[in-house]
Amino acid sequence: MIYCKTDVAVQAANAALVGEGVRFERIRRITGYLVGTLDRFNNAKRAEERDRVKHCSLEKWD
Amino acid sequence: MPASIRKRDSRVVPFELSKIAEAIFKAAQSQGGSDRSKAVELAKVVEAKLNALYGDGIPDVEQVQDIVEKVLIEAGHAKTAKAYILYRNERTRIRVMKTRLMTTLRDISFKDARDNDLKRENANIDGDTAMGTMLKYGSEAAKQFYECFLLNPRHSQAHNEGDIHIHDLDFFSLTTTCTQIDIKKLFAGGFNTGHGFLREPNSIQSAAALACIAIQSNQNDQHGGQSIPNFDYGLAPGVARSYIKNIDLVLDMRDADPDFRTSTAGGLKTLLLQKERAGEPFSILSPEGQDIVLSALCKRLSPEEARHIMDKALTRTERDTYQAMEGLVHNLNTMHSRAGAQIPFSSINYGTDTSPEGRMVIRNVLLATEAGLGNGETPIFPIHIFKVKEGVSFNKGDPNYDMFKLACRVSAKRLFPNFSFLDAPFNLAYYKPGRPETEIAYMGCRTRVIANRYDPSREITNGRGNLSFTSINLPRLGLKHRGDLNGFFGELDEKMSLVFEQLLERLEIQSSKKVKNYPFLMGQGIWLDSDNLGPEDEVREVLKHGTLTTGFIGLAECLVALIGQHHGQSEEAQKLGLEIIRHMRERADRKGEETSLNFTLIGTPAEGLSGRFVRLDRKLFGAIPNVTDRDYYTNSFHIPVHFPISAYNKIRLEAPYHALTNGGHITYVEVDGDPCSNLEAFEDIVRAMHDMGIGYGSINHPVDRDPVCGYTGIINDVCPRCGRHDGEGIPLETLRRIKGYRKESRSSDEVSEAEHKIPNCIL
Repeated sequence: MIYCKTDVAVQAANAALVGEGVRFERIRRITGYLVGTLDRFNNAKRAEERDRVKHCSLEKWD
Repeated sequence: MPASIRKRDSRVVPFELSKIAEAIFKAAQSQGGSDRSKAVELAKVVEAKLNALYGDGIPDVEQVQDIVEKVLIEAGHAKTAKAYILYRNERTRIRVMKTRLMTTLRDISFKDARDNDLKRENANIDGDTAMGTMLKYGSEAAKQFYECFLLNPRHSQAHNEGDIHIHDLDFFSLTTTCTQIDIKKLFAGGFNTGHGFLREPNSIQSAAALACIAIQSNQNDQHGGQSIPNFDYGLAPGVARSYIKNIDLVLDMRDADPDFRTSTAGGLKTLLLQKERAGEPFSILSPEGQDIVLSALCKRLSPEEARHIMDKALTRTERDTYQAMEGLVHNLNTMHSRAGAQIPFSSINYGTDTSPEGRMVIRNVLLATEAGLGNGETPIFPIHIFKVKEGVSFNKGDPNYDMFKLACRVSAKRLFPNFSFLDAPFNLAYYKPGRPETEIAYMGCRTRVIANRYDPSREITNGRGNLSFTSINLPRLGLKHRGDLNGFFGELDEKMSLVFEQLLERLEIQSSKKVKNYPFLMGQGIWLDSDNLGPEDEVREVLKHGTLTTGFIGLAECLVALIGQHHGQSEEAQKLGLEIIRHMRERADRKGEETSLNFTLIGTPAEGLSGRFVRLDRKLFGAIPNVTDRDYYTNSFHIPVHFPISAYNKIRLEAPYHALTNGGHITYVEVDGDPCSNLEAFEDIVRAMHDMGIGYGSINHPVDRDPVCGYTGIINDVCPRCGRHDGEGIPLETLRRIKGYRKESRSSDEVSEAEHKIPNCIL
């Protein structure tokens, strides 16, 4: 059986891992604006975000 | 005598007597002296003293200057001595500033944003990029320049010590904060961006594109964000024009006679323009409008055929509107302003236009936001603000109730829209049915402008905004006067007077600018009444439509310092909290009456400030539990984020502060779980905000996304879709199974053709 070139590449790639080093995006609202990455928060904002507690749960009520 | 002298940078240079004589002469000259030989004589006395003190040693500059001072005083030249000391102090100050500035610039150049808090001051500027860094150079240099040369020393001292915070100090001498851009007025007749004239938009696509350009252009003239107060009303005419175009297009597709096409579309357009110019409400998509279209088409076509054409045109218009809104959301998340370093801070207000055109705009901007960006990302901009109004968009049976439901659904997924409440008594007071400019609109961050002391006949939102604002450090006042309320209110009054004075001094600088300094904001008549001015005119008078705002942060910490509890913990604290904020509001109102200017009070958003004040206060007072022991002060009048409290109680306790903070306010509720699975409860929270008198609020919930598999929702440690941890890799095979990783972009014909050509290849 003959494989075309791209297939070999795909098979090789299948063995490899994708997404290494890619962080989850965590969108938060702080001081009124949304920010897509906590990395750009200044230290005070990071601390504030970390301390937040929830005021109610919206899990489906039974 | 000393042969050399050591300079500040520790270089050793030959000692020159003439330099000392020159410095003494200059000091004397500034006091009216003109006797050079006397200066030389005094310099010789200095030399003798140096000889006695240092012999062959090497004195440094400071030591020499000390002796000069001493000699001048001893010789009875008090005035000259004073001038010399002043000159010396001034030089020292400038030298210190230079060193500080260079250190700051060095940090900006060589430190990563991750290690430099300064570079993360504004979360939406990427401090690591070339333009972000350039912006930061300018900003830091400007701040230090104003502190040295422009600011009243009393204000600059209070700012540096952290009693008050002058916001956007880098723009101190340049411009004002923000504006509610009336796009309806702007589009009528077309406008100029300064680089070319743009005709009145003739379709929803171009109207949406121009709305983005208006935001971008105005953002370059001001230091704050930009908002559109009438997004639905403003873009509705674009929908009507697209509909007429689509009627023409469908007729063309059916090979209608060109003359008939021209007369039909031309006739409808002429009618639309006539009605618009006359200011008569007219909607081509309303039943009356549709009758007119039908009878125009029926001149040549059967009623069935005409209806078919109208249906097709309507479907196309809906699709055009969706695409226009999709484009707008994409544009506002990618276009740049301010030397390319920033995405414009944009907000759009909508929800009360009940015309079919306006509703089409609302529906599609919500749907486009729900769909997200290209890979399903949550759009960061624009901030959406849905206007909630009884009889319009709040209760079952209201014409836009369906839009409110949709707004809740989209907000549950994407965090936007926020909700503004037109029925809150302080907002309702200005509301006049049929006059959208009297509907409250918020700047996304919370700024609110409606009352108008300067011109009480213009109590409107459109074309106005904040001029500048300065915040007071409430926790520090609390810490200075623990248990002593009289002392507290006394110093609060002093601080407010200081802030008023500072706002007025800044206004003077802003007022002396000319229209040409704000080419879009003033040149294109965005700002109220600026359309009556020429390019060389001062903006002094028209600026008076804007607000001068005093802000505050950390009411909670202030209360803890004063009486041991914050307003979430006891009714007594709540009572005192309201007394403090009411007092501040009354002071602002009185200042407004005195000056006929719009002095207002805002619950400050506290961008970088929440961390700055607490750092300074911890140095002064140490780490005091629940006051200075965290890295931030609580935003405005909020209940602290770490304090457990029910949503209902949080809304109940914060609502009365909305009535007092006429310059802006927002209340957040943090919810757990996936709000999309419980929209009823989500809506209940919004209704509770409405019922309890909140002016502007929104619901926070975590929106996480895994960029690898594309999952959007709540991600704790592990992505629920692909099972990877943060930063972990997963096998491509797994990924492909999950989401059909390789997208087939070819048509089925192309695939089968390829299969025939290369039979052995697995495709």
